[in-house]
Amino acid sequence: MPPLSGWTIWITGFVGKVPTLDQVMSLFASDFFTPVTICLIMLGLWLGYPDRFERERMQRTVMNTAVAIGISTLGVHIVNAFWNPWPRPFLVDDPVIRESARNAAQTVFYFAHDPSFPSNATTIAFAAATGIWLGNRKAGIIVYVLATLWAFARFYAGIHFFVDILAGAVLGILTALFICKVFMPRVEPFPTWVMKLWRFLYLG
Amino acid sequence: MASDYFILVLIASIGLYQIVAITAKLDGLCFFKRPLPQIVFGALLIAGAYIWFFTSDERNIQHQVEGSQQLGLFLGAIVAGYVVTGIISSAIQAKVKTRVDNSQKEKAHEIGVESLKTNTFLGSIRSRMKKENKKG
Repeated sequence: MPPLSGWTIWITGFVGKVPTLDQVMSLFASDFFTPVTICLIMLGLWLGYPDRFERERMQRTVMNTAVAIGISTLGVHIVNAFWNPWPRPFLVDDPVIRESARNAAQTVFYFAHDPSFPSNATTIAFAAATGIWLGNRKAGIIVYVLATLWAFARFYAGIHFFVDILAGAVLGILTALFICKVFMPRVEPFPTWVMKLWRFLYLG
Repeated sequence: MASDYFILVLIASIGLYQIVAITAKLDGLCFFKRPLPQIVFGALLIAGAYIWFFTSDERNIQHQVEGSQQLGLFLGAIVAGYVVTGIISSAIQAKVKTRVDNSQKEKAHEIGVESLKTNTFLGSIRSRMKKENKKG
């Protein structure tokens, strides 16, 4: 059992008490709502600047963020391949946690059966938020809020332990910082060539 | 689910391009002459796509649209949305007219999206092809 697993009983205890809250959490926990919104924000940043130098700077930020998202997902798969420390909360041996999480997952989300640790969704969302924040503080804060809501909704839905969420956030943030600050500047001129390709295709 | 997801992103991206065309001054992507109807139209497309997607069916179910497939569908849909926007705006020519003999536009073909400030999407491609033919 992971540390702080008792928090799952506390948070999933709220499910079913306020139907409107459950519906809102169901929307935020969805596999589609937050990722599509974050990607649309990235698309808006890609094209949204009138000055072409500022636009190119932001397009590099978005490109770095996309690479960070990809590498962080790879990181989650690598962790899952070698270490799968505990099952989903609704599959654990402890009957109190299991039943509380099972009720929450059934009401708010569905029974996901891929590994619980670390939260893939949280990793992706925090990698995106950090990458964007490095190029545009306001947009970054908006994406951090979305990422936090996505992560919280999945904790509320009883499909992740708090530690899964925390590890996902740390992995996402560290990966994005490494990719954007260390990796991408060192692989020049490849990003510049990719930027030229986008311009040639009228996409950048 | 995959086709619904594609339609969601396609429609929302077309709406987003309309809003972004105002902020980035990309007149070649505009469907409208004035900014207000364009922003309202863009916002309605985005809101409509979300509302349709999340109310037309139960989305929190075990589905087959995994992460990599979602990424592929998203990229396909935003590029399709961009092409659709480019074609419609070129046909409407709400803000810019296609003229390929303008020296500024001759120069603009080298800088991608930037050319959409002074030319339509199809006009920019036509302009570049003419320039390439002249070179050849």
